[in-house]
Amino acid sequence: MNAVDATDRGAVQQDVEPPSLLTIILDTNPHAWALLADSLPLSKVVANLLVFINAHVAINHANRVAVIASHSERAEWLYPTPTQPRQQHDQANGATHDGDGERADVHPPNDANKYRPFAQLEHALVTNLRRLMTTTTAPSLSTSPATLLAGALTRALAYISKQTAALPTATTSTQFNYSDPSSSTAAGGNDLNTDPTKAHTTLGLTSRILVVSVSGDLADKYIEIMNAIFACQRLSIPIDVLKLAGDPVFLQQAADTTGGIYMHLATPQARAGFLQYLMFAYLPDQTARENLIMPAGEGEGVDFRAACFCHKRIVDVGFVCSICLSIFCEPLADGTCLLCGSHLSMGNYGRNPAVVPKRKKGKGKKRALDSGADTPAGSGGEGTPAPG
Amino acid sequence: MAHSDPEYDDHGADDDEDVVVRGRGGRSMASRPKGRAQATWEAAASRNWELQEGADGSIEGVLGGLEEAGKRKRLLKDTTPLQRGIIRHTLLVLDLSDAMNEKDLRPTRHLLTITYTIAFVREYFEQNPISQLGILGMREGLAIRVSDMSGNPNDHITALKQLRSTEPKGNPSLQNALDMARAALYHTPSHGTREVVIVLGALLTSDPGDIHDTIKACIRDRIRVRIIGLAAQMHICAEICRKTNGGDENYYDVAIDEVDYRQQLMAITTPPVLRSTDTEAQKNNQAALLMMGFPSRIVEEKATLCACHGNLTRGGYLCSRCKAKVCNLPATCPTCDLTLILSTHLARSYHHLFPLRNWSEVSWRRARQKGSTQCYGCLSGFPPVPAQQEVADGAEHDQAFARTKRAEGASESSRYECETCGNHFCIDCDVFCHEVVHNCPGCQSRARLPGAQGDGEANGG
Repeated sequence: MNAVDATDRGAVQQDVEPPSLLTIILDTNPHAWALLADSLPLSKVVANLLVFINAHVAINHANRVAVIASHSERAEWLYPTPTQPRQQHDQANGATHDGDGERADVHPPNDANKYRPFAQLEHALVTNLRRLMTTTTAPSLSTSPATLLAGALTRALAYISKQTAALPTATTSTQFNYSDPSSSTAAGGNDLNTDPTKAHTTLGLTSRILVVSVSGDLADKYIEIMNAIFACQRLSIPIDVLKLAGDPVFLQQAADTTGGIYMHLATPQARAGFLQYLMFAYLPDQTARENLIMPAGEGEGVDFRAACFCHKRIVDVGFVCSICLSIFCEPLADGTCLLCGSHLSMGNYGRNPAVVPKRKKGKGKKRALDSGADTPAGSGGEGTPAPG
Repeated sequence: MAHSDPEYDDHGADDDEDVVVRGRGGRSMASRPKGRAQATWEAAASRNWELQEGADGSIEGVLGGLEEAGKRKRLLKDTTPLQRGIIRHTLLVLDLSDAMNEKDLRPTRHLLTITYTIAFVREYFEQNPISQLGILGMREGLAIRVSDMSGNPNDHITALKQLRSTEPKGNPSLQNALDMARAALYHTPSHGTREVVIVLGALLTSDPGDIHDTIKACIRDRIRVRIIGLAAQMHICAEICRKTNGGDENYYDVAIDEVDYRQQLMAITTPPVLRSTDTEAQKNNQAALLMMGFPSRIVEEKATLCACHGNLTRGGYLCSRCKAKVCNLPATCPTCDLTLILSTHLARSYHHLFPLRNWSEVSWRRARQKGSTQCYGCLSGFPPVPAQQEVADGAEHDQAFARTKRAEGASESSRYECETCGNHFCIDCDVFCHEVVHNCPGCQSRARLPGAQGDGEANGG
């Protein structure tokens, strides 16, 4: 009898799907949504997202969801509802943590026709989003046209890390041994080849991040976004990106680096199928995706351009300080690196390609002819505009 | 290096009075005394008995504090941005002599070294993506080449795995190894660092000539040597490290056990701080502003020839300047000679250059002032602030109580504050943000910070 019990329990444990934490970062930048208002208003996106979230929660009762708004001047939790600092909300409910939707300020209306977790989630999300919108002031809007995606990503990562650590089955996972590097033989979970397989074998919480993005200009937070991307890669958390508008550079790199899905819905027709894209491309988890083929339009190249540190422009040819590796979009005027202060010679800038004639002006071609590849280093620094 | 290395800081911080001689007497030039009082690991073991029960008789509070303090101690490193050598050229020299058959490190020194070295190679390229590494071995008085200088971790790992089946043999020769390393590093560009890391198990070196000449030649070539000993201190090793590192004595250490060995090896993966003399030398050698291309990956309908190998491929990277197709990065464009690199390679090292500032501990008073109830990063709850009147009775009492209850280094209120944005975080987020993300969730979540005028410098700049 006992033996039968034991085998049963083992089998059940093997079959059970690991719970999955889906963190959605919703870009709520009002400027960008205003441009999209005709083809896909924010209200419709939120409604579709709720359907998607409900589907995710319905797949496995242990599945969890977190939603963060990356707004124009702050990144804020939409779900779970954070408790407010006490001086602002004295009558907020006493219980502080646990992150369940039940602790929302106002309880959801009792609707007998709705699955209770769905109702709570929906209510909390909509309430928080409304509060976020009403507290957005006109002056703050006019000063910050971008969105704080780096903050949202960092908060999402901190939350995921805590949730994974809190889950008892995840203690065997090799993903989170950064605080005790001596405990495991893998180099701090750094090995890109072995990590994903390990993540599959452990029964811990599998997490992923979905970014619904509408803004383009992210270059001013380049370092922070890249830091977050590398952290995701280290923890093998895929970043899925659904781009509705804007310049895709860094998010495409994020999806590529972390093994997530990147899709750009450029046309109004594509955007009309927003929910369909969500359900078919982004709902399956990592293991299921291995057996699925991405819709057409994928398999395109990835844009690997970088942002320069001096003007926050996105460049494909840049000047890199050999000491600190900072990227500049044009040769520095006085030859001193803006970040580390080292004196830099201009190296071989101005040297012309051996075969291809220079794109800019005729000046370069003449020099290529008479001095070949050995143009003196100093002559290049005289303010020739940087290509690109 | 000593400024930023967490390991050395550790030893400075937990230096108890009763530990007279540390097992890792790496910094003193004297050899390890025979009748040493207590090794570091012994001290750590005995410290368990020093636990004191809290006022209410429980030890949980003390234990929790100890754990937090331990986590935090790893974090508290110097975050002043230092100039570091990001483009590194490192030669790893492994001892493959008789001495490596010793079993004092399990399973044997040889096998453990290979296992750790594989981990080292991975971590090295993770931390230094545009650096080069090569591996040499010392066997039968000769220096042998295990793997050539290359930027591909898999080459090294394959070579190391083959090494597993070979038997360590003969005597090591430091001179031959240094000479070979010097030759291998001879052609490396001046803007990178030149480092040699030697893992030495033997207590002797059998050299064909005067090793001091070799040391002088190394100094001339700006090669920095680090040695990890597996047995005991040797005078010649200390001398090599000291002389090639400008008199700094922190570069030679003897590993006391497996964990320590691994930590020492992994500490080397952090890019080294550049010394001012190096900077001088580099100025003479013209640190350069390099023009680099950040090509984008393409996928083609039909296969075309790549410009680098002439292979038919259906994808690759287009040179940003001349649009020639190369199949792998980093590379130099075969057509226009532009250095092509993935921007993600560069971006990986930025957190060394812009480290996140340490967060400070939060007193109960401050916690009440801010009224923080949950971690800003992960939304987990903090222990509630004690009632107002209890503290009003005597702030000193409260302070003293907290001090005895929590271990040194841990915050009494379990909160940690980022001084830039003023948000409070839990210990897990503290560790996570400093070791993995290198971003502050609070600073990044506000476009304008209270008190801080700049926005770009919010991340500890």
